[in-house]
Amino acid sequence: MFLAYLPFMVYPYGFFKAGVAAIWIVMFLWGTIFFFWFTRRLFPDRSLKHAFFLWLIVWAQAMWMLTKLPPYWIVSVFFLTPVSFLDDTAKASHVRVFSKKVPRYFFERVLTGVGFAGFVMLLTFVREIGENSLGIKAFEQPAGMLLVAAALAFLWKNQPYRRKG
Amino acid sequence: MYFLIITFGFLLAMRGARPAPLQRPSEGLRRIVREAVDLFLTTSLILALFALAADFEEIRASVREYAILGFGVAAYLLSRYQKKTDVFFLSVIASVFIISLKRPDLSQGILLAGVISAGIALFQTCLLGLRYRFLFSPMPASIKGWPSLCLLAGLISMVLWGLWNPAF
Repeated sequence: MFLAYLPFMVYPYGFFKAGVAAIWIVMFLWGTIFFFWFTRRLFPDRSLKHAFFLWLIVWAQAMWMLTKLPPYWIVSVFFLTPVSFLDDTAKASHVRVFSKKVPRYFFERVLTGVGFAGFVMLLTFVREIGENSLGIKAFEQPAGMLLVAAALAFLWKNQPYRRKG
Repeated sequence: MYFLIITFGFLLAMRGARPAPLQRPSEGLRRIVREAVDLFLTTSLILALFALAADFEEIRASVREYAILGFGVAAYLLSRYQKKTDVFFLSVIASVFIISLKRPDLSQGILLAGVISAGIALFQTCLLGLRYRFLFSPMPASIKGWPSLCLLAGLISMVLWGLWNPAF
């Protein structure tokens, strides 16, 4: 999730634009997974990964032409895409459309997307507050967000329920 | 451009080429230098191809209009040919894109590619050195892993920002 956020450090966007970009990334991620889930069996062996990256490049070009969104967002999509999805050696298993696996799989992807959009908005909000309201110089460069990420990672790693375990 | 150096330096450090064991920093340093040289050469080659294509009057407009598509396909093919990681390919696209936005001539573009590659290598070298130092330091388990990595990256970024501003 954090690695997927990193390209947003390159975008000079405020809260609203970063939110729109994050929503676009999530929508695109869902569309991509939906598209490849149903078509992956049509691709010859070991060509799915090439098709996926070509798909990303074509959409990066289209978004640049339509909205002038720089193509760094494809890095976020890449990191949000499930690892098994790009595994050349994995064979697509037979899953019936009405199997319980389908809604569970898509539900996990929906949660990933919603979590990512929330994470981006939270960090952008923190950056806006730190840079504009508090005037902290560290937020004018990547260091500010990396230090915030360190704090978040520390809190995540030391959650109370984990200590009980 | 500084944001790109730190962002992709960190991404390459985390998900780039298979890292050498932390116990052997010289091997890690060798890999960083090699990756940086590869990044520089690949980026420069794509910029040269782009400049060459843009020299032809008939296709100049199309080359500029579909630049991302051209960069992307070239970066992907070159990365696969060199058996590089996916993050390397994405870093090449990002570098070529940010350089092409400035519309420099070829020599300036190659110079910028050198600055990006050297900056990424410097960032990764500092991160490797500090991680190696941490390896032999008593450190609480609660900050091991991502918290310490982000903290180190943030501190290195602050130091390099101090160097970057007077230099550029």
